[in-house]
Amino acid sequence: MIGYVSIGLLGLLALSIPVGIVLFLLGFGIDFFFSSFPLTRGLGNMVWSSSNSATLIAIPFFVLLGEILVRSGVATRTYAALDRWVSWLPGGLVHANIATATMFSATSGSSVATAATVATVAMPQAEKLGYDPKLFSGAIAAGGTLGIMIPPSINLIVYGFLTQSSIPQLFLAGLIPGLALAIAFMVVTAVICMIRPDLGGMRRTFPFPQMLRALIDLIPILILFGLIVGSIYGGWATPTEAAAVGVAGAFLIALAFGGVSWDMLLQSLTGTVKITSMIMLIVIGASFLNFTLASAGLGRELTEFMNGLGLTPLKTILVVVVLYIVLGFFIETLSLMVVTIPIIVPLVVAQGYDVIWFGILMIVLIEMALITPPVGLNLYVVQGARKSGSLNEVMLGALPYCLTMLAMAFLLIAFPSIALFLPTFLQ
Amino acid sequence: MELKLISHLRVINKGVALVVGFGLLLCAAFVLADIIMRQIGSSLGGTEEIAGYAMALATSWGMSYTLLELGHVRIDLLRTKFQSFGKALFDVFSMIVMSGVIITIAIKAWPVVERSITNGSRANTPLETPLAWVQLPWFAGWVWFAAMSTITTLAALSLLAKRRHAETESIIGAFAEQETLQ
Repeated sequence: MIGYVSIGLLGLLALSIPVGIVLFLLGFGIDFFFSSFPLTRGLGNMVWSSSNSATLIAIPFFVLLGEILVRSGVATRTYAALDRWVSWLPGGLVHANIATATMFSATSGSSVATAATVATVAMPQAEKLGYDPKLFSGAIAAGGTLGIMIPPSINLIVYGFLTQSSIPQLFLAGLIPGLALAIAFMVVTAVICMIRPDLGGMRRTFPFPQMLRALIDLIPILILFGLIVGSIYGGWATPTEAAAVGVAGAFLIALAFGGVSWDMLLQSLTGTVKITSMIMLIVIGASFLNFTLASAGLGRELTEFMNGLGLTPLKTILVVVVLYIVLGFFIETLSLMVVTIPIIVPLVVAQGYDVIWFGILMIVLIEMALITPPVGLNLYVVQGARKSGSLNEVMLGALPYCLTMLAMAFLLIAFPSIALFLPTFLQ
Repeated sequence: MELKLISHLRVINKGVALVVGFGLLLCAAFVLADIIMRQIGSSLGGTEEIAGYAMALATSWGMSYTLLELGHVRIDLLRTKFQSFGKALFDVFSMIVMSGVIITIAIKAWPVVERSITNGSRANTPLETPLAWVQLPWFAGWVWFAAMSTITTLAALSLLAKRRHAETESIIGAFAEQETLQ
């Protein structure tokens, strides 16, 4: 059954059938070949119960929040403001790239829109100030991946939903590794630019009053993120309620900055529906596959399979890491996460690992997938926005950040408390 | 003719997407109102339940818009290695498979609604919502999605038969995301 699912999965994906549909097909296959009673009869109920969810409605809310912030021009202002604050570092504006991408993909459902926004604003500056295009664009692509780790994260909501683990705990667990990665990216940038100052372009300092004025653009966003995250951790709001608060906050900020128009609202709404349905087809497909796999006795088969291999827990995790890196060349983020959850998570948990911890490790690994060729969506997005040079430059520029992520994955394996400290401490 | 048909469908489904979008916005406002009421000691009650229904409806009715905007994720690693005819074959094949699966879902969704109607089932909640009220429009959304994907598939097949491969890509190709960005 494990072999059937793995080969079927890769084969059907290679035929470029939509990922969500592939998951349904595999579920039908399990029913046909491996189950003694007709599981497809439960299809209607599965589709109903997995979409009738007050938890999952947090997804469109968070997507909408991000759409509003990006489309109303708040992201552009943030970039300019961050530029005032970080451009004195070795690497200058590159730090602003990382910070802006981190902040906005954190909520924007489409890291595509975020990377495009940052790239559009930043690229002209890069040429003017003499930055190395490789490092500069690589930093945008890499920064854009952090959004799925730093809460609120749509990917963590989906992971929590499919593995039935606590979403607030996942959010807590993602906070330290996410911030650590953002800082690590900036340190890596600074080190590279100290060794090769020609890559970093012109360092600029701004008079202090200008920096203070820039704060006006930054503070509302920081308060908004603080409010969302704080209300979940404070225990007075569920992730869904916090997301609704976030939507209202994003509206207020966009209004205050004069970015709200009827057109922008309509675009944000249709954008939200498009991304939400895309995610939900995959999530419902995964729920159905999960259900058929569990009903057909995957658990028992997995245990036998693992006993047969005789791997220690540590070796199992290392195999899983290699698997994600290899799959990550071809599949990415949500698809990679969702198609592997039904098999990999039970396997890892059976080896005694924590399901929350593994969620975070998985996020680091799928973040890498976003910037590894040949299929790395963020690479293409940044390349698409800069309109000159070759894709190879973006790939090369993203490489140092990719290695940083790999290092973070190993740190998480060596010190699980990087992720688990906050959830256990605050429990 | 096929392209015109698809562009009509796009307009209609954009309208549907807007209705869904405003519905979600309304739901967010409702959740927000509940939080505020809770702070002052009362509660609207049933927000969780209503949010769940809103999500089910948004999901089933939003699918066609995403389909027509080429938004459902596909892995096109192999597909990009082919010329326009090969790509068109990949696209039409994946649309046929997709339509088949969606039609199956729509058919299997009916017994869920039927059971709620015949049993007069009500949600096991304080609101005691008659489930059929929510499940009927939910089911209709999946039927709509099945109809849209079938029509799109037929339009694509017809283009393929007329050997207009490049145009096939514009209605059922993969990864339009980068081009549609602003």
